[in-house]
Amino acid sequence: MEDYLPFVISGLGLGAVYALSGVGLVVLYRSSGVLNFAFGAIGALGAYVAWSLLEADWPQGLAWCAAIVASMLLSLAYGRLLAPRLSHRDPTIRSIATLGFALVVVGFTEWYWGEQPRRLVLPTDAGAIDFVLGEVEVRLTHTRALGLALAVLMMGGVGLLLSKTRVGLKMRALANDRDLSALLGIRVLGVDTVAWVLSGAFAGVCGLLLANIVRLQATLLTFLVIPAFAAAIIGRLHSLPATVAGGIAIGVLEALAITVPGFAAFRTATPFLIALAMIVFFRTGTRQA
Amino acid sequence: MSASILNDAPVQGIAAVPASLAEASRRAHISLAVMVGCVLLIGIAVPWLANAYWIKTLTSSLALSIAAAGVALLYGQLGLVSLCQYALLGAGGWIALRAGHGLGWPFELSVLAGGLLSCAVGMLAGLPALRLKGLYLALVTMMMAGGFQVVINVMGFPDGGAGWLGRVFGSERLMMPRPALALSDAAYFRYVAVWLAAMLALIELHRRTRAGRSWALIRRGEAAAVAAGVNILRYQTWAFGLAGFCAGVAGALLAGGVGQLDGRAFTAGDSVMLFALTVVGGVYHWAGALIAGLLLRAVPALLTDFGVNGYLAMIFFGVALLHALITAPSGIAGQLAGAFDAVRKRFARGGKEAGP
Amino acid sequence: MIRVNDLTVAFGGVKAIDGLSAELDAPVCGLIGPNGAGKTTLVNVLSGLVQPRAGSVTVDGADLLGLKPIERVRFGLRRSFQTEQVVEDLSVWDNVRALLDHVPHARGEAVAQVARALSHTGLLDVATVLGQRLNLFQRRMLEIAKSLVGAPKLLLLDEPGAGLTEQEAGALRRVIGSVHAFCGAQVLLIDHDVDLIAATCTQTLVLDFGRRLALGPTRAVLDDPAVRKAYLGTE
Repeated sequence: MEDYLPFVISGLGLGAVYALSGVGLVVLYRSSGVLNFAFGAIGALGAYVAWSLLEADWPQGLAWCAAIVASMLLSLAYGRLLAPRLSHRDPTIRSIATLGFALVVVGFTEWYWGEQPRRLVLPTDAGAIDFVLGEVEVRLTHTRALGLALAVLMMGGVGLLLSKTRVGLKMRALANDRDLSALLGIRVLGVDTVAWVLSGAFAGVCGLLLANIVRLQATLLTFLVIPAFAAAIIGRLHSLPATVAGGIAIGVLEALAITVPGFAAFRTATPFLIALAMIVFFRTGTRQA
Repeated sequence: MSASILNDAPVQGIAAVPASLAEASRRAHISLAVMVGCVLLIGIAVPWLANAYWIKTLTSSLALSIAAAGVALLYGQLGLVSLCQYALLGAGGWIALRAGHGLGWPFELSVLAGGLLSCAVGMLAGLPALRLKGLYLALVTMMMAGGFQVVINVMGFPDGGAGWLGRVFGSERLMMPRPALALSDAAYFRYVAVWLAAMLALIELHRRTRAGRSWALIRRGEAAAVAAGVNILRYQTWAFGLAGFCAGVAGALLAGGVGQLDGRAFTAGDSVMLFALTVVGGVYHWAGALIAGLLLRAVPALLTDFGVNGYLAMIFFGVALLHALITAPSGIAGQLAGAFDAVRKRFARGGKEAGP
Repeated sequence: MIRVNDLTVAFGGVKAIDGLSAELDAPVCGLIGPNGAGKTTLVNVLSGLVQPRAGSVTVDGADLLGLKPIERVRFGLRRSFQTEQVVEDLSVWDNVRALLDHVPHARGEAVAQVARALSHTGLLDVATVLGQRLNLFQRRMLEIAKSLVGAPKLLLLDEPGAGLTEQEAGALRRVIGSVHAFCGAQVLLIDHDVDLIAATCTQTLVLDFGRRLALGPTRAVLDDPAVRKAYLGTE
């Protein structure tokens, strides 16, 4: 059992990011009806912004902020400029259109910064927390610890936002029935803006964490968002707790898959297998999207 | 509309088939012939006009056009978004390479095997997915493409070795054996053009018969389809199978063209790109598939020739997809066809005015 | 002949149809009632879109509820909708032809059947016109033409005359009235246009709150004081 603990810990790190991405996707989907395929790309660009600033010797805190702001702005730009022009189309097309945006963002990122893979080394990587679980020594770099803490904070915060605040109430109303909400006087565009910006913030944080954990490369980071979709699917594009649980489970299982003989090389397929299994075997209750 | 129905009693007895029907049928046959003719003409003309590099590039373009035709079928006829067609193309290529290297099958058989496998995989994998609509289908197919990406990255493509995977290393890697009558690059280009014409005709024939009418009813809405007795699942599965067949054939032909396939080049992003550029090319017209193939291979090659960064092309394609979805749903082919029609009508009117 | 026996349909706690029994044997039957009376629900049960909680329905002796919706179409059930379901990018001819794709018919007879149906509804001249170019009257006629092919047994027409002019409604009346002579099928007609019902239907069923309010010869039903009070609003 203890042999598996290191894998579980490392899987928790990635799983937390999957969970966070999943929440960012689901919150936006619930409010605006759009599943943002450009989520990973937006986060990737934010990570590159942070990299550039760190190379220019900016302080880490500012670099992080700049990255998150960049992602928020990109998300806002799509949400306010492009998404409204598709608002009358069917939900699938409104989401597929974000693929176009993803192509634009990835293309720009790879063109501007070049496609060679980089490492996003953060100053917080230097320090670490060591503790002992059972008989195993565990080491969590400060970045990972920060990431986990941030993940918990953001997910909890969003949960509170949706259930306790006015804006959250409006967002839930919008998710329920957009036209009716408009008739009831809820300023649809205003609430939409909040959802897109919030989702952008999540994307930025996830982009930074993923770039640090894996590596900084736009196409890779965009591909890595697919497990986040798997987490969102587990949450049936609706339930935040289920999405979080799904994301963490995917991360942990993917890490544990290294220990399965013969499967290790295929372990990055774990998220897809889980998502497919979810859809195939738990079809009843899958909302028609 | 006959004025008589508004005033008199309805006509009983045997009704004559209207002449307009025969006329419409004639025009349909002509348009089919024009389509096949255009593709074959391209097959004949290009090897004379292009250099060796471009012949190879355009061969890949034509092969990818077949896959694009499948994507267009699913999206244009049924509104289904499949983001795994490039993976199915890879699967078809894998089978064809395995059959060609390991079993020594004749080329056509390898192509058909690739097509049929991808058809079967498409249908099997698609069945549970097809019970879901819209967005979930897109997500599930994207998951499948992601899974395939991981698997093929590890497995690689057969290139002359023994065993299940058929892999061989270093300089021993073999190219896929081509058909006897299409050994040179020019001949192979024409060969692929013939396959493209055949596949486009296959799809077009589907569209004009029972399958196409059923798909049109499904497009109209579930209520309309059920009220007409259409088994929605069966016809969606059929479309998925046909699209899979297109992808598999394309993969096999691609393998034959470039000789070897790289396991690192079949990403989920490639499937997304295939879908995006098919929409940009135009999903309602056969020329759209041709344009998609060009956008996928020829345009990037052209940009490389001019020293333009390929990622700028990606930006352009993203914008083109957004444009197509927001303002021009019938894509480039649709807009060209519209312009063509307008010009033709202008000439017809001009002809009439010039008459007696 | 439609035989409904003790039919109950409930959506949650609301009973859309409550213990309905009726025998409809006229060639053209009317189905009327105030909004929410259960008319469309009854048609939905007949066409298979809604499952009843209890009761049975037979058409020409055959149990209808045991058949899946697609099987009912093969059996001979045809349905038109309030919002017409013409396929925009198929021609008029293909719209009708599509129905024969899934219904048993003699080989080689398809063309003749479609031609007959289009001629009967006055659409033969526009056979090659695409659905998107038709006007409302042509669309409504096309809905009926679709129902006339493939040996139909029962046509369910849901407000086929909505939005038509006087002259067009007259043509519709003639077509509906002659369906039985044309192909032997029975017609169940829902409409709010009392004149249309009175002119075409020899027998009429009136629903109110999911229950049978009246059933009988149309004129008698329309004159029934209970019906007038509930539906027509006159004393």
